[in-house]
Amino acid sequence: MIHLQKRREPLKYGGLGAAVIAAVIAFLTGSIIFGFLGVNPLSAYGVMFKGVFGSFHSFSEVLVKATPLTFTGLAVAVAATMMLWNIGAEGQLVWGGIFAAGTALYVFPGVPAMVLIPAVICAAAVGGMFWALIPGVLKARFNVNEILTTLLLNYVAIIYMEHLFYGPWRDPAGFGFPGTAQLPEAAHLFRFLGTRIHLGFPLALLAAVCLYYLLTKSTWGYQVRVIGNEQRAARYAGFNVTGKTLSVMALSGALAGIAGMAEVCGIHYRLQTGLAVGYGYDGIIVAWLAGLNPLLVPLTAALLGALFVGGEQLQTVLGLPSTISLILEAALLFGLFAGQAMIQYTLVFEGGKTGEIEPLPLKGGD
Amino acid sequence: MTHPVISLKGISKYFGTVAANRDIRLEVHSGRIHALLGENGAGKSTLMSILAGRYQPDNGTIEIHGNEVRFSSPAQALDHGIGMVYQRFMLIESMTVGENLLLAVQKKIDKRDASKLIRETAEQYGLAVDPEKYIYELSMGERQRVEIIKLLLLDAKVLIFDEPTAVLTPVEIDSFFAVLKKLRSDNKAIIFITHKLEEVLALADDISIMRKGRVIISTEADRKQISKRQLARLMVGRDVVLKVNKQEVALGRPVLRLNNFCGEDAFGGTSFHDISFEVRRGEIFSIIGVAGNGQSGLVSAITGLTKGVSGTVEFKENTYSAQEWARASKKDIAYVPEDRYHTGCVGAMSIAENFALTQLDSYSSGVAGLVLDRGKMSMDGARAIEEFNIKAESYDDAAQSLSGGNLQKVILSRELSREPKLFIAEQPTQGLDIGSTEDIWQSLLECRSKAAVLLITGDLREVLSLSDRIGVIFNGRLLDIIDARDADQVGRVGLLMAGVES
Repeated sequence: MIHLQKRREPLKYGGLGAAVIAAVIAFLTGSIIFGFLGVNPLSAYGVMFKGVFGSFHSFSEVLVKATPLTFTGLAVAVAATMMLWNIGAEGQLVWGGIFAAGTALYVFPGVPAMVLIPAVICAAAVGGMFWALIPGVLKARFNVNEILTTLLLNYVAIIYMEHLFYGPWRDPAGFGFPGTAQLPEAAHLFRFLGTRIHLGFPLALLAAVCLYYLLTKSTWGYQVRVIGNEQRAARYAGFNVTGKTLSVMALSGALAGIAGMAEVCGIHYRLQTGLAVGYGYDGIIVAWLAGLNPLLVPLTAALLGALFVGGEQLQTVLGLPSTISLILEAALLFGLFAGQAMIQYTLVFEGGKTGEIEPLPLKGGD
Repeated sequence: MTHPVISLKGISKYFGTVAANRDIRLEVHSGRIHALLGENGAGKSTLMSILAGRYQPDNGTIEIHGNEVRFSSPAQALDHGIGMVYQRFMLIESMTVGENLLLAVQKKIDKRDASKLIRETAEQYGLAVDPEKYIYELSMGERQRVEIIKLLLLDAKVLIFDEPTAVLTPVEIDSFFAVLKKLRSDNKAIIFITHKLEEVLALADDISIMRKGRVIISTEADRKQISKRQLARLMVGRDVVLKVNKQEVALGRPVLRLNNFCGEDAFGGTSFHDISFEVRRGEIFSIIGVAGNGQSGLVSAITGLTKGVSGTVEFKENTYSAQEWARASKKDIAYVPEDRYHTGCVGAMSIAENFALTQLDSYSSGVAGLVLDRGKMSMDGARAIEEFNIKAESYDDAAQSLSGGNLQKVILSRELSREPKLFIAEQPTQGLDIGSTEDIWQSLLECRSKAAVLLITGDLREVLSLSDRIGVIFNGRLLDIIDARDADQVGRVGLLMAGVES
């Protein structure tokens, strides 16, 4: 019989070990799937690898995907630092996109880029913030579970966006296609080196660094970390938990909102289907793979971006469904949790006969 | 003597590299009460958890009537007649007594016979408890009775109690002792873990003393031969004369005064009524009581964590209503909470970071105080380690890596560094070893010269060693306030704790 037993101290270099375990589990899971699909796993991985690192252009697509993922990853990470589960980055991203597109199309249509770009960024932040503050207020004021509210509001946001571009905001010259008119040039984010990497990418890196400093070097971040770690200690210290809930949700929503702006003003140049493709949910994985460390978020975002780009290659080259990348993504996350469990616990093998499971030792006692 | 019902042979248990139990031999006999004595951390609970099947030993064997047995779960130990009543009861609060008992015994006893059996068992041992009542309605003593009935229904021959009297009132302790004697006369083997020497001398037939993971002596109790003092010396390896250097301090102005203060306990415990007392600079005023008599609600109302209901609070010449007080500034009040692991500190954060917990204002700089002053945090953390002789590698060590005593010193030094006018310490030495206890007592006594000290504790030793005045709380009321210098009156403290007022 096998028991799980808590280690007295977590394994050294456990974080690295967990990452390796996650990678191995994802690799093996993918191999099995490829096997079922009748493809040699090694050649499939080869295609993915080549699709990512094969050319400068293909690699640039990884960074294109990493841009919104970094923002949503940071959004989830800052909330999770306070043990708030923001599953609603997707909806906040959508509202960021709505506000950005609305600002560029209807509020300041004729102004130059110098004014319009900052304006759409701010508008997107406000849009995401507004959407995140609904569950934020419900949580702070009435202690409503934010997992449910943030998640459910995603659907509301997406449907409202569709209403806009199918209805009042639909491009009159769009031959009936759903979508708004193209944004004015001044609202297009600058692109680098002939690729689709746009201004959003350096902004995302900057946001990661800023968030890191905010969480570790500011009194605000200190309080957020205390609340996230030990609610009772925060109450004892007299921290304003309600206020922090609101400000953290606002910041989280703003970051997700900017992700929406980055997609609308950096990639699509209009509001249309294809904005809500799940970057908000992927942000959860990005954040936890990074161990909630803002400085690692861009790296894990790039990792996920690489999986997506590689997955697309599977489709074009081998004719496999690109959703395989989603399976790999899930395996990566499960692998990470398994790895983290192995840091905390150890397996004990014992020749017992019954099916009784030993309860995990309680903390404390002597 | 007869053959032992249980013999432990060479039991060892390691947690990582720490040996909780080393090569332990122990024999337990039917019809006898076996006291297992030892300081906190001596390995008593671990040893008993092994016997009750919760842990598996790394070495050694357990024999019942000479036959080796191995348990991989408490259920298996129970099948062999060994049951344990843990310090934290294993009962489901939202279910009735009867439901809890049925849940435990359903595999062995037919449902239809159960209620009759419960009643018979309860009557036979004098374990009065209403099977219709919900667990959350019961006092700790009643809950303990439910646990005992549970073991008896499961036909336990060996009953283990982990510090059974810690949560009981003196009256409940007496009836618990009567139950133990009844069980003994019924030829059950009883083991109880304790560090209360009086109980050992009053009850035990056999005494084993553990120190640092070993059983250092296992003997029949001969009440004439063995004294409390000897037991204490065996337990800690040196004489336990706790020395405090209590110097005279001039009494200053009243800092805190409560008038007819009433309030609820936020967690549904005992509320408190009509509490009136004052604490002056230069004195330690103690509130002593058995846990659960309203003191936790009182402390959280005084520290502003919860709102009082009525009465007034005077603090530094200002008078507040109970509601106003909850919002008033507590800047000049330092507070060492009872739960040092999850309230007094943030385990995952470093010593330095924990230093800012209750005084974030003094560690902020820059625009709107937004920048965290890490340099000052590290400096103060390092100084506390030095001054209070805290055993830590550096101020970067996580708080959770410290032992209880060292952690308490971190919290204490932080609270002292706030230069408070009122210092509140709640159970400051609970569960600490003697060395740390002495250090903390000394700090509290020194603090008295700069502040008013309010000590809330259930530890009579602590109160008698430190206090200038003693208030005894029982069932939410302050029964009396006694001058600690008045030797005749001090003798009443123990009685008052039990609610005996005369």
